[in-house]
Amino acid sequence: MKSIEELDLPEDYRYADDHEWAKLDGDKVRVGLDDYAQDQLGEIVYVELPQVGAVFQKGDVFGMVESVKAVSDCYMPVGGEVVAVNSALEDSPQLINQSPYDDGWMIDVKPADIAEMDTLYTREGILEKLKEGGEQ
Amino acid sequence: MADFAGYEMPLWYPAGPKEEHLAVLTKVGVFDTCHMAVILISGSGALDLLQRCFTKDLERCIGKRNAPMSPGKCTYGAFLDDRGEVIDDSIIGQLGPDLYMAVVNAGMGGDVSSHLKQNRNGRVVEIIDLTDQVGKIDVQGMMAAPVVQKLMANPDHVFDRLPYFSFKGHFDPKSECADAVRLRDGTPILLSRTGYTGEFGFEIFVASDHTVELWQEIIEAGETSGIQPCGLAARDSLRAGAVLPLSHQDIGSWPFINHPWPFALPYNTERTGFTKDFIGKSALEQVTSPEYTYAFAGYDVRKVPVHEGNPVVLDLAGHEIGVILTCVSDMSIGRHNNKIYSVLSPDKPEGFIPLGLSCGFIKIRRPLAPGDIVLLKNGKREIKGEIVQDIRPDRTARAPLNVMLQA
Repeated sequence: MKSIEELDLPEDYRYADDHEWAKLDGDKVRVGLDDYAQDQLGEIVYVELPQVGAVFQKGDVFGMVESVKAVSDCYMPVGGEVVAVNSALEDSPQLINQSPYDDGWMIDVKPADIAEMDTLYTREGILEKLKEGGEQ
Repeated sequence: MADFAGYEMPLWYPAGPKEEHLAVLTKVGVFDTCHMAVILISGSGALDLLQRCFTKDLERCIGKRNAPMSPGKCTYGAFLDDRGEVIDDSIIGQLGPDLYMAVVNAGMGGDVSSHLKQNRNGRVVEIIDLTDQVGKIDVQGMMAAPVVQKLMANPDHVFDRLPYFSFKGHFDPKSECADAVRLRDGTPILLSRTGYTGEFGFEIFVASDHTVELWQEIIEAGETSGIQPCGLAARDSLRAGAVLPLSHQDIGSWPFINHPWPFALPYNTERTGFTKDFIGKSALEQVTSPEYTYAFAGYDVRKVPVHEGNPVVLDLAGHEIGVILTCVSDMSIGRHNNKIYSVLSPDKPEGFIPLGLSCGFIKIRRPLAPGDIVLLKNGKREIKGEIVQDIRPDRTARAPLNVMLQA
């Protein structure tokens, strides 16, 4: 497992309590799992994603990732409609481990309320939470 | 890293558990198994004590002809209590006349030694718990023979007649057997054609102060073969796919009967009774509400984690019929037209890519038959599992050494 110092948590992403990330890209928000989540889960072997068109509230379960160690729910960092899913994860779920912020993205969301982005952690905020929680 | 019975052990190395699992099938893997304990049982009453405490009939446990145990042979069974429940499982090897070695699980050296001592009843037997005094490294997989060959001073001699479940040498420099197998630097080892992966390979026992050096020598010797250090996760998925139980998870505090490992019990040829008396025998013969342990295989890689939620087994009508003991994903197998193939299957479909299958063991309150379908469920998900007699096909554990030497 990585130490907190080893985690890659880019500045231009926002982070949720359960270590989903959200990144504003034009009028949509791209969502994935952060480096901490993928590192804790270990090698991911299966990903369940929602249908395009599904609508979720912030905090709803939108999918599931399965690693050798565990099966984990993924929660919406912001509410909205799913407008795209990363179908490459079907055949290559390990992309989440290999490239959590790029090739391993999970869904694109058309946010219902863009202000929900402001409820998420910045890089500094999530780092502080990790240190306080003694999650490492 | 994970705490495993007091030992800090890696769940996986940087390559990851899937790569590690596949490396054992297609190349070679190396496992640090120093957490396992060795117990020496010696004296004129040693055989009689083991006959009383161990489930295998050592007078008739070797080969199809039921030959008695002899030096250099080993056999798999379990130590039971009066209730027929498992204290631990073990491979017992005979080192010499009146001298046996029992290899037990992490942290179990003390418990099994005490159990043996408590049942000595005047027999002349010495029991020595060598917990943490013997290092153990497993080299398992397709290329294990050429790798181990490079380690030894006298490989031709050692590899001559070393079938599955036999061993040569000793880890104690003072033993008479120590000359049988030596590393190139002269260190004596005990080399055993056993393992916990279902694949061809060896378990190497060495004095604990030489363990790190041996590990490094193995890594060097295996470099050209693509040797892969393997952690507990790959060990778990390899053994589950090979239908091997994990002690205290698939066998444990319930009667050791009605399970996929009848060869660990001293059945007579007709399977109507046992050929010897042993601790736990009458309890096994008088089980009143039997439970049945079965291997199952799923239909894709999705599993139901047994340490999360409330994992249960349901029949197709939705009635709860039992519990899940082990559920992991064997990443080297997949189904095609409902038949399971492995990456090693000679008849695998063209272009076969293993997507992985969940598999493991369930314990059910009524008998089922191979082909029956059950549902495995916890809070998060429900998967279908088929009752099977075997999981990962075309395993190599029993392959002849001379064939594997050409790998």
